[in-house]
Amino acid sequence: MSASSPLLAELIDALRCLPGVGGKSAQRMAIQLLERDRGGGRRLASALEQAMERIGNCSRCRNFSEDEVCAVCANATRDPHILCVVESPSDLAAIEQATGYRGQYFVLLGRLSPLDGTGPEELGLHALAARLEEGEISEMIIATNPTVEGEATAHYLGRLASAAGIRATRLAHGVPLGGELEYVDRSTLAHAFGGRQAVE
Amino acid sequence: MLLVQQQPAYVLHARAYRETSLLLECLTRDHGRLGVVARGVRGPRSRLRRADLEPFQSLALDYSQRGELATLRGVEPIGALNRLRGDGLLSGLYVNELVVRLCARQDAQPGLFDAYAEILSRLDAGAAPAWPLRRFERDLLQALGYAMQLRYDAQDGEALDPQAFYRYQPDGGPERCGPQTPQAVRGEDLLALADDRCPDDDGLRRLRVLMRDVLRFHLGGTELRAWRMLRPGPPPALR
Ligand SMILES: [Zn+2]
Repeated sequence: MSASSPLLAELIDALRCLPGVGGKSAQRMAIQLLERDRGGGRRLASALEQAMERIGNCSRCRNFSEDEVCAVCANATRDPHILCVVESPSDLAAIEQATGYRGQYFVLLGRLSPLDGTGPEELGLHALAARLEEGEISEMIIATNPTVEGEATAHYLGRLASAAGIRATRLAHGVPLGGELEYVDRSTLAHAFGGRQAVE
Repeated sequence: MLLVQQQPAYVLHARAYRETSLLLECLTRDHGRLGVVARGVRGPRSRLRRADLEPFQSLALDYSQRGELATLRGVEPIGALNRLRGDGLLSGLYVNELVVRLCARQDAQPGLFDAYAEILSRLDAGAAPAWPLRRFERDLLQALGYAMQLRYDAQDGEALDPQAFYRYQPDGGPERCGPQTPQAVRGEDLLALADDRCPDDDGLRRLRVLMRDVLRFHLGGTELRAWRMLRPGPPPALR
């Protein structure tokens, strides 16, 4: 098949850069677009081209944005005194969709991980520190993942906040609603146990 | 094909590998540092749980091996969940980077596994990290065959004078110098490290600089990433 068309071979190969897409799925996608949905394919090509060309990072929060300052940071109705720090744009999207949070964000685009070559500089912590120094933020919500590297990042962020005299809080991680202790995995249970609260 | 069962091990680092797998850098008790592929662990129906493969947890691994990389067959956490916290957690990431950067794969070093387990339990117990880290660095170098010379002057073979100052040559040992020499340590600092006695704060500071110099030498002059997040005091981003 690919021998018949070098362009098709190139398309199949290019599609494999998508997460979770191997040779078989890439071939199926390419053929589907050529056979049944050339309009959709053209739209995809143009959206990809535009996005790769024009999307950069917001100068305030580092989230993806085609403007210097993204729509969330530019929104004057959001609380300017609370800052939520997340690892990735998808974490930000999850919080926006699931909670009523109306404060500011900072996106690390990673987590502290020396063996992956990610240190404070790569996470933009100079920019974050500068933002804390502006004096407008009074609380920093640390929403990094409950992994070893996410916890290490949270600790480092906590030190940054306390050096700037800002209150830092950490997301609670616990037993999922509707879950039973017996079936909760041990690390979740250990987290929930460590973060227990007084019964009111 | 080699089959290994119930091998005591720690995960030092995990990264995405192929479509749904993880490539784990592990420290095993009997086979040293080992690259282990955990197949399908990032997929939704995985039998193995990602959370069981976090660093610092004592594990028993079942794996098969053909060629350089092993394939994970089973994993069982041993003992309570290891929960390093705070500076102990950052120190743990530093220890993992050090082990990966200094130890070649599949080169068993007797003593290293025990030294590693020991530093984790010290960090887990909430000890201030500086002294446990210096002891681990000393033990790691010894396990790798680069044991430090901490008792005698490298130039004249005389026993170290606790009150005198020395400049430590990474490939030789201590040489007597003046107190103003950059990175000079006192004889008593080196003797404390040799005798496993915790020195005072000034001594600990001097040993920290010295060990960094020695490690940098064994790393071929390169820096560790973790050094940038381990500076004492307020984080460098604010200075
Ligand atoms: Zn923004």
